[in-house]
Parts: sequence; structure tokens; C-alpha cells
Amino acid sequence: MKQFLKYLLGFFALLFLVVNLISFGSLYSLNKSDFYKPCYLVNSIDEVEYDYVIIGASTGLTTLNTTIIDSITGMNGFNLSIDDTGMANHYLMLKHFLAEGKKTASCILVASAEEYGKNQEFIGDNDYRFLPFIKRSYVQNYFSSLKPKSAINVLKWSEWMPFLGVSYYNIELFFPSLIATVKPSKRNRFDSKGNYAYPNRKLNNDTKKPKTNIRVSFKSDYLNKLKELCHDHNIELIYYFSPLRTKSLSFDDEFIKSIDHSNIFKDDTYFYDDIHVNTYGNKKASLLFAYEFINNY
Amino acid sequence: MLFNSVTFLIFLPTVFILYWFVFKKSLTVRNILLLVASYVFYGWWDYRFLGLIIASTLVDFTLGICLSNKKFDAYRKLFLIISLVFNLGLLGFFKYYNFFIDSWVSAWGLVGVEFHPSTLQIILPVGISFYTFQTLSYTIDIYRKKLAPTKDFVSFAAYVAFFPQLVAGPIERASHLLPQFSKIKSFDFEFAKSGVGLIVWGLFKKIVVADNCAYFVNQIFENPIGYSTLELWIGVLFFSFQIYGDFSGYSDIAIGVSRLFGFDLMTNFKFPYFSRNIAEFWRRWHISLSSWFRDYLYIPLGGSRGNKWQQTRNVFIIFIVSGFWHGANWTFVIWGGIHASLFIPLLLINKNRKYVNAHNYKLKDGISVLLTFIIVSFAWVYFRADNITFALEYTFRMFSIDDFSITSLYKTSKTLLFALISVFSILVMLWLEFRAVKKKYNEVHLSGFGLLCISVLILFLGVFKNPAEFIYFQF
Repeated sequence: MKQFLKYLLGFFALLFLVVNLISFGSLYSLNKSDFYKPCYLVNSIDEVEYDYVIIGASTGLTTLNTTIIDSITGMNGFNLSIDDTGMANHYLMLKHFLAEGKKTASCILVASAEEYGKNQEFIGDNDYRFLPFIKRSYVQNYFSSLKPKSAINVLKWSEWMPFLGVSYYNIELFFPSLIATVKPSKRNRFDSKGNYAYPNRKLNNDTKKPKTNIRVSFKSDYLNKLKELCHDHNIELIYYFSPLRTKSLSFDDEFIKSIDHSNIFKDDTYFYDDIHVNTYGNKKASLLFAYEFINNY
Repeated sequence: MLFNSVTFLIFLPTVFILYWFVFKKSLTVRNILLLVASYVFYGWWDYRFLGLIIASTLVDFTLGICLSNKKFDAYRKLFLIISLVFNLGLLGFFKYYNFFIDSWVSAWGLVGVEFHPSTLQIILPVGISFYTFQTLSYTIDIYRKKLAPTKDFVSFAAYVAFFPQLVAGPIERASHLLPQFSKIKSFDFEFAKSGVGLIVWGLFKKIVVADNCAYFVNQIFENPIGYSTLELWIGVLFFSFQIYGDFSGYSDIAIGVSRLFGFDLMTNFKFPYFSRNIAEFWRRWHISLSSWFRDYLYIPLGGSRGNKWQQTRNVFIIFIVSGFWHGANWTFVIWGGIHASLFIPLLLINKNRKYVNAHNYKLKDGISVLLTFIIVSFAWVYFRADNITFALEYTFRMFSIDDFSITSLYKTSKTLLFALISVFSILVMLWLEFRAVKKKYNEVHLSGFGLLCISVLILFLGVFKNPAEFIYFQF
């Protein structure tokens, strides 16, 4: 038995060492690359002062194009949105931006009605993109404050055992780190100003349902944290509601500073699906936003 | 409880420590520990169905004693019938009740008679097909006077519910496993070490091979109309490796875990995709089930005795029943029928035992191996399909020869990655298995370095986020 326990101990110790070394290398490689937006922001963005930044999930990423907006307004903006994320991640992204010593006058929040109305309990599906910065206290606090969807909080424990996060998210972290090692300047579906647009495609009209009204109530606890963060850094928080194909919005609070584009497109030509615009929609929405932004804010 | 879960990661070392360090002196206490652990393992999934295992245990334990009691000699057949009716009744009710009702209604519908009997919302208890066969083998062997009944209820209950093999086999015979509960074990380092190797190898086959293949298989079988001829073939080939990795992976883990407690379970898979014909395939695939049917159905039917017509009939029955054992669906019956129609010609030309003792492979055997693999893969379509219409449509499209694109394999970087991992892991598996076949081993042997490499591959190529359930749990 003693021999077996020694064997197991030796085997697991060696395995632990090897997989942690590989994982450490993997996170290091990502940390030094432009593959994911949090890393790109740290490694390749030298500008410090911005007129505005956009935070949000896929609708923020694919609706507002900062290059188009800047060409109209003469401002300098950056799109910080990450697809498939929630309000908590938007807060984390702004915090990450500020932690880099960068500044912005305005913050455009592009979130869905559902995100505003609920408190986020769980770690988001794309939050692993902050794992290369796990040693930073605000990232560690973030992973500790939310519940994991897995049996154990692999992201939180990755501070000490990086193999947990890297192996759990192997498709999303381990393999991209191999690409990042070979080509550190490769970006994962965003341009140098943080934008991405869905391609144009013909939508099937059979799938179109009558518009349903959604009431937006501003109850999310992370929204409150975001407001506080903006207040502390003198940032004007502006809500943007992106075009919707099958929904219309009404609001609990009529006095918020917002640009509501939820109902601007009647034509399917501009949509990629029910909640995202395509490249046409991206251009048009960005133009309309730019004029409204420069006139009202 | 799943072998590839965090819960099991805590459960296994706990039971191991209690077994070898705390309860090392008393055999009965050790067996009680294994029994309780097995009930916890099973109850973790759904404790309500523990009652079925306990009932099955009580009935067969009692019948076993009655069968050997000289006072009841006149009733021996009756006791056997009670055991058969009880165990097959349980299986029939939980697994086949709705199937028979639906088939009955459909049959009458064909002649224009319509009626609407009520079906029940029955949950299929995990592992019922496995443990009922295990308890049945016990009473049948006692009836045949091949086995003496045990008077130790705890040993018998632990044998029926032994957690490593309770829910998906191997289906153990009482004559092999039960005596192992009757002697106190001393720890065997080499045996336990080989168990660790098998656990790691089984996890590789399940988490890396099967679960990565499942990514494509599920997409393609969800909507085959959207895929080309070549992609449908790829879907089937990937499913062949998915089901093999999934099921043989489970068996390997079960055997490996048993070895940690000093128990020896039978080999369930002997590299079936290196078979040179269908007959050899069935001597290598799910051996515990094939041999169960051989001993308790094929031989009583007459086996290979009698003329060719009787032999053909017996083989046909075995394959149909074996298909039906897998699930209450006509697709499984057809799957069994396909295998029967491939096996029977070999029987008729006396080639069914051609490779029984032929362990050496020649170069030309490669073609036989490939052909056998392709026809086995083709039959898997009926195993995987939800219904016959779907299976027929899938088969028709496989041979429609109109489009050979493989764009779905690389439509996004993620799908390309899954495809590459699947192919790479299949090649690793086949390479290591081929080495074992050449050395005439029954299982893959990994050196210390090999074990480390496979563990690293599990961690960096495995599917952890959305793992697929073990396929054989549904049987």
C-alpha cells in the first residue's frame, strides 16, 4: 500500500507540475498577445484619453462602429464590448480599462432589456477572457463574487492552479494561446478600434413574429456598481438601445440619458437576426448614433 | 454519480481510504461498506429506484436458497420461473411497457381499428438492464447446479450493486464475481497500478475521443438534410468512435476502479475495431453481454447443434433479442437484424470461427479490418437514429452521391478545432490499441510516461464544459 500511495503521490505531483507549467505558459502567451480584447487593450493600445467608449455584449460589439462614429463626430472612441457577456462583465471591462490608466468622457452602455432587469448571479460564458489577468485584484474579486456554472469555481481557483481554468476552457484558452504564441498580433474577431460586424444575409420572413413589448426596468445591481464607477471617474453614462427586429421597448425610468434605436429599422435588410444588425445595419445605426450623439451630448 | 464528475473524485478516495485503512480487518464490514457506497453511488442519481435493486436482491437471494434446498426439489422449476418473471417483469415494465402499447395500437391501426389506451410516464431506471441480467444469471446457474447459493446476504447484495459496474456493466457472472466478496483481500500493488492505468485510459476514451466526436455527431444527426453525402459518412464514422469510446471507456474505468479494491472484472471490449469479420467483432464487442446471451439463450435454444437451419434460427434470435435489449425501439431490432444478416453467411460457409485463435495479423488483414469497420459503422446508423424513417432517410442520403463537400467540418474555427481533436484522439487511440493487439494483450498497457502523456491530453483536449452523458446509461 505504501508503494502504491508513493506511486500515486509521485504521479499526481508530476502531472500537477506539468499541467500547471503548460497552463502558465498558455496564459502568459495570451497575456502578451492581442487575441482577446482585455489583452489587446493592455498590449497594443497606447492612447490614454478617449471621448467615449462602448461597453456591452454582442449588440454593443456589432451595432456601433467607432470608426464610423469618429469620422462623423471627430471624436475618439473605442469599442470595449465582448460578445456573450452580461452586465457584470461590462462593469469589469470598464474597470479594466480604467485600471490601465485610461480615461474617457462618456461611456455608452449597450445592454439588453433582460440584463437591466435582473441581478447577475453566475460567471458569464466569456469571462474566461480575463483569466490572463487573474493576479489583478479586481479580476480575482470579480471571479469570487459570482457563482460558477461548473461544480467548482475554476476561474477563481486558477490563481493558484492555472490548469483548472486552462483545461476547463481548453478550446477557448489553450488552443488560442498556441495561435497567440505563433502570431501575437492576431485579434479574435475585432478590428483595431474594437469593432466587429455580422455579415449581410437574407432573413427568412417565416420566422418573423409580431413585435412584443418589453418593459425595461433598471434594477441590476451591477448597473448600480457601473453608475458608481462612472460617477467616481467623472464619466457620463449613456444608455444605448440597439435596433430590434421583433421587440419594442418601454421604460420604467423616462428620465435616463439614452439613445433609443430599438425601433428605427422596419426593414429586414438591416438585420442579421432578431436582435443583431448586419453590416448594413451596423453602418446605418452608427451614422444615426453619431448625429444624435454629437447633437445631444 | 458519474465517473467523470467532481463528486466521484471525492467519493472514490473516501471509499478507498475507508476500505483499506479503516475497515481492513472484517470482511463483513468491508462488504457492508461496499454495499452502502454502491447504494450512495446509485442513489445519487435517483434514490427512489434503490427499492428496485433491493427488491431484486431479496427475491433472487431467497430463490437461490430455495433452489438448493432439497425439501423444495419438486418446485425448482417454479422458483426459476418466479425469478425469470420477476426480473424480466421489472425490465419489461420499466423499459418496454410504452413500446408494447404503442406497437399494439399501431398494429391495429394498420387494419383500421383505432383505440387510445393510456401510456404511463415511466422513467427508465439507470442500469436496470445490467443488474437484472446479473441477478438472473445467479438463479439460472444455481438451477443448473453450476453454482452453490450464497448464504451471506451482504456479499450477495454487494455483488448485485457493486458500484463500479452497477449502471453500465460489465455484466458479471455470480460464479466469477461473488466468490471475490467471500475472501478478505490484501493489497496488490501491481494490480492496483494497472487499475489506475485503465481508469486514465477509460477517461481518455470517454472525455477526449467520445465527447469530441459527439460535437459533430449530434449536429449531423439532428438535421442530416443540411449535410453532404461525405459529411453523413463522417458523422457515422465519428459515431462509431463515439459509442466505442463512450462505452468501452466506461467499462475500462469500471474495471480499473474495481482493481483498486482488489476485484477482478471480466474484459468487456477487446479492440473490436480490429476485427476481421463480424463474427470476430462479436467476440470483441460488449463481451459480457454476448457471452450472457450465448450461455443463457443461444445454448438453451440448441446453439450450434442441429442442422444449418436450426443454427441460423438460433443466431437470428440471439441478434434480434440482443438488439432489443438495447432499447424499446424498432431501430435496435433492425440493428440486430443487420448484424444477424452479416453473421449468418459466415455461419453457413463455416467461417464464423475463422479468427478464434488467429492472433497474428497479416498485411492483407488490413482490408478485412477496414471492411468490417465500415459495415459495423453503417449499422450504427440504426442504433443512433430515433426512428426507422429517420434511419432510412439517413441511409438513402449516404448513398445518394450528390455532394462531397466537407464544409461543416471547418465552417468556424471552433468546428475545425473539434474536428482536428477528434481525428487526432482517434489516431492516438487506434495506435495504442494496435500496439496492444500486436502484443496479444487484452487491454492497453501504459508506461509511466505514457500515463502522464495521456493524462495531459485528457486535461487539454477533453470536453469539460458540456460533457455528454454516457450513452449506455439509457439502456
